[in-house]
Amino acid sequence: MRVTKGAQIVAGTALLALAVAACGGGASDSGGTAAGGGDTTPVRMEIGEPQELLVPQNTTETEGSEVLAALFSPLVGYDENKQPVEEAAESVTTEDSKVWTIKLKSGYTWHDGTAVTAADYARAWNYAALQDNAMSASYFFGRIDGYEDVHPGEGKKPSAKEMKGLKVVDDLTLEVTLAAPFSQFKTMLGYTAFYPLPESAIGPDGKVTQAYGEQPIGQGLFKLDKPYKKGTDATIEASVYDKFPGKKPSNWTKLQFKVYTSAETAYNDLQAENLDVDDSLPPSAIASAKAALGDRYFDEPDASIGYIGVPLKYNPDFQDVQVRRAISLAIDRKTIAETVFSGTRAPADDFINPAIPGYRQGACDACTYNPAEAKKLYDEAGGPKNIEVGYNADGGHKEWIEAVANNLRANLGIEVTPKPFEKFQGILDALDGKEYKGLFRMGWAIDYPAAENYLSPIFGTGAIESGSNYGGYSNKEFDELIKKGDQATDAAEGLKFYQQADDILIKELPYIPVYFYRSNFGHSTKVKNVKLNLLNQIDWADVEKA
Amino acid sequence: MSNPTPPVGPGLPDTQTLVTEPTRAPEREGKKAKTGKPASLWTDAWYDLRRRPMFILSVIIIFVLLVMSFWPSLFTSIDPFNARSCDLSTARQGPSPGHLFGRDNLGCDLYARTIYGARNSIIIGVFTTIVTTLIGSLLGIIAGYKGGAVDAVSSRFTEIFFAIPAILGALLIAATFRGRANSILLVIVALGVLGWPMTYRIMRAAVITAKSQDFVVAARALGAGAGRIMFRHLLPNSLAPVIVVATINLGGFIAAEAALSFLGVGVLSPDISWGLMIADARNRFLEAPLPLVFPAAFLCVTVLAFIMMGDAVRDALDPKLR
Repeated sequence: MRVTKGAQIVAGTALLALAVAACGGGASDSGGTAAGGGDTTPVRMEIGEPQELLVPQNTTETEGSEVLAALFSPLVGYDENKQPVEEAAESVTTEDSKVWTIKLKSGYTWHDGTAVTAADYARAWNYAALQDNAMSASYFFGRIDGYEDVHPGEGKKPSAKEMKGLKVVDDLTLEVTLAAPFSQFKTMLGYTAFYPLPESAIGPDGKVTQAYGEQPIGQGLFKLDKPYKKGTDATIEASVYDKFPGKKPSNWTKLQFKVYTSAETAYNDLQAENLDVDDSLPPSAIASAKAALGDRYFDEPDASIGYIGVPLKYNPDFQDVQVRRAISLAIDRKTIAETVFSGTRAPADDFINPAIPGYRQGACDACTYNPAEAKKLYDEAGGPKNIEVGYNADGGHKEWIEAVANNLRANLGIEVTPKPFEKFQGILDALDGKEYKGLFRMGWAIDYPAAENYLSPIFGTGAIESGSNYGGYSNKEFDELIKKGDQATDAAEGLKFYQQADDILIKELPYIPVYFYRSNFGHSTKVKNVKLNLLNQIDWADVEKA
Repeated sequence: MSNPTPPVGPGLPDTQTLVTEPTRAPEREGKKAKTGKPASLWTDAWYDLRRRPMFILSVIIIFVLLVMSFWPSLFTSIDPFNARSCDLSTARQGPSPGHLFGRDNLGCDLYARTIYGARNSIIIGVFTTIVTTLIGSLLGIIAGYKGGAVDAVSSRFTEIFFAIPAILGALLIAATFRGRANSILLVIVALGVLGWPMTYRIMRAAVITAKSQDFVVAARALGAGAGRIMFRHLLPNSLAPVIVVATINLGGFIAAEAALSFLGVGVLSPDISWGLMIADARNRFLEAPLPLVFPAAFLCVTVLAFIMMGDAVRDALDPKLR
C-alpha cells in the first residue's frame, strides 16, 4: 500500500510540474519530497488569481485576502457569536470610543525572525492612508484623526506623511485617536488592511518593494516558501512558521493555494480529490454539490445583501413610502432565492445581515410576499404605471431582475422594463445625468462586520456626497441615531441605537432588501474540520488531515 | 448559431454566371409552347420551381412561420407578455399537458414564448433585407449605369463598408445606441447599414452587363432618359441575381439578429426573440436543456428554410446550372 501511494504522489507531482512548466512558470518542485509520509503533502486550497501583488494594504478583494490571511495574524479574530476577540493583540481598550489603546502580545515575530512591534502597525497604517501610495484599502483608515491631512482627496497634496492620531507608546503599545468617536472600531481591526508591515517591506524610495509584494514576510501561521510570480505561477506554496506563537495545525505543515481561472475546473478537481478546499463553487453546481459532497458541503450566511435601489433623489414618483412598500410586498423573495439562486441566497428580512450581530429575524414586515396587499397599496398611492429596473449586465443579475420584474408586472398590474447597463457605474452615471430615473439593482458587501456598516455608508446623509448613498435618502432622525451609536462607549450599547436606525429604514424602505448572500464551500475527504470565519477565510489551525 | 457567417459573405461563386445570362427566355418544348408566347425568365423559373421538393418544403415552412408571426394566438392560448402566465416556482419543469415544451428559467411557458419569438425574427429578417436591397440596388444601378467617376467613388465607398466585419460593426452600432431607440428598429438599422454592399456589387455587375445589350442601345436611340433606361429596362433585367441574394441573406440576417440578442445588444426584454431566449437559457443548459434547445431548433429551421428557398430560386433563375 505504501509503495502505491508514494508512486501516485510522485506521478501526480510530475504531472503538476509539467502543467506548470507548460504555463511558462519556473515553479517545479512543489512538495517533491512528499513520498515519505502524509503530513508533508500540502493541503490544497482553491483561489482565483489575486488582483494585485500580495500587499495587505492594497488588497480589498477576496482572493488575495485569502492568501494574506494565512501569512498574517490579525489583531482581532471573530468568535462564534461574531464578536471580535484578540489574536495578535493582547487587549484593545477605550474609555470614550475615541482614544483606543492597542496592546500587542509579545512573542510574535516576523518570518525573518525579528520581533513585531507597535511601530510596524503604525508604519503599515500610515503607508496605507497616504494618498501618494494609492493603496486601495486607504478608506479603512478614514476614521483616524489626521486622515484628512495625509489623504485630502483627488487633486490636493497631502500636508503630512503620517496621521497625527497614531501614536507608538512603546514597543507593544499603540494609541489610536479617532477623529470622532466610533464604538465599533475594534471590529474593524480584523481586516486585511490592518495587518502590520515589517521595516524591510519599504524600499529606499519609500514604497513597498516588488520583492515584498511577491513574497510578503508576515507574522502569521504560514510562511511563503518562494516568491509568487503573478500571472505565471499556478500555485502558491507555504509552510507552517515554526516560531508562530498561536495555535498550529495538529498533523500537517504544508499549504498550497492553487490558482484557478474557472470555478468549474476547481469543482471538478475537488470531486477528483485533486483539491482539498473549494470556496468558489460554481452556481451551476450548487444543486448537485449537496448530493455529490454530502456532509462535506457547507452553506453559511455571508455578510452581503442584494437590494432594489430606489432613486429617491431623482424621481418624485417613488417619494410616497406606500409605493415603495407596495413594490416590496410584491416581490416573492423566497421563490427567487430558491429557484433563481438555487438556494445560494436567502430571502432578506432586515437591513442588517444575519451573519452580523444586530440582525433581527423577520424585522422587515414589508419584506414578506403579499400580492393582494401590494396591489391595494399601490393603487391607493397611485404609483407609476411604467417603471424601469436597471441592472449591470456584467454581474449575473439578469435572471433575478427579470424575476422581480415579472413579480411587479403580475402583482401590481404595471409595465416593467428591465434595463441592462454595461457596468454598475453606468447606472449611477445615468442617474446623475438625469437620463435614467428607474429603480436599480444594488448590492452591499461589508467593509467590517458591524451593523453600522449596513446603515450609514448607504443611507446616511453624509454618504450622499462621499459614500455609497446612491438613492439620495436623507433622514435627520436616522443620522442622529447613527451618531449616538458611534459615540456609545461600548459596542453593545451602540448596537441598540443602530437597531433603532434600522427600524427607520424598515419603515421608510429607501432601498428594498431582496436577498442575503450565502457562502458555499466544500472540501475533500482528505481533510476535516474546515470552517469559514466571518471574513470567509479558513481557520487553518483547526483544519485536520483525515 | 452563435457565430453565423456574415450575411454578406464573399461566397456565391455563381453570381457571375448569373449576371452574364441575359433575359432571353430559352425556348422550351411542352406546356409553354401551347400558349404561343415565348415564356419569360420568370414564368420559366416558376415552372421549374414548382417541381422542386426543396422549394416546396421551404415555402411551407416559411408560410407557417409567417402565420406564426402574424397570428401567434392561433398556435397558443397563453399570452407570454402577461406576467401572470409565469410562475417562478414552476421554473424549469419539463413538458406537461398545457405546457408542451415545459417551462423556462423564470417559470414562463416555453412553447408560447418560442411561438411569439418568431415575430421579431421574421420582422427583423424581412425589413433588414428590404433595407439592404433598396440601398444596394439603388446605388448599384446608378454606379453600373453611369460608370466612370460615379462608379469609382461609390465602389470605393462600398468597399469601406465591405471591410467592416458585419457582425462586429452591427455589435458596435447596437451597443452604442442601446436603450436610446426601439431595440428592434436598432437591430434593423445596425444590420441594414452594414449589409448592403453585396447587393450593390451584384446589381452593379448585372447592370454593366445589361447596359451594352441591344435593347438598351435601342431605347437610348429612341430618346429614353437615364431614369427610364435604368428603371424600365435595366432594373427588370438585372433583378434575378439580386432576388437570389436577398432570399439567402434573409436567413443570414435572422441568424445575425439572434447573435446580437445573444450578446445582449439585440432585442431586449420584455420583447421576445429566439436569440434572447438562447442567451437566457445558456447558463443553466446542463440543468435544463429544453429552454435552449427549442428556440435554437426553431432558429435553425427558419434560417435553413430561407437559405433552401434562396438556393432553389437561384437554380431556377440560372439555367446554366441545370
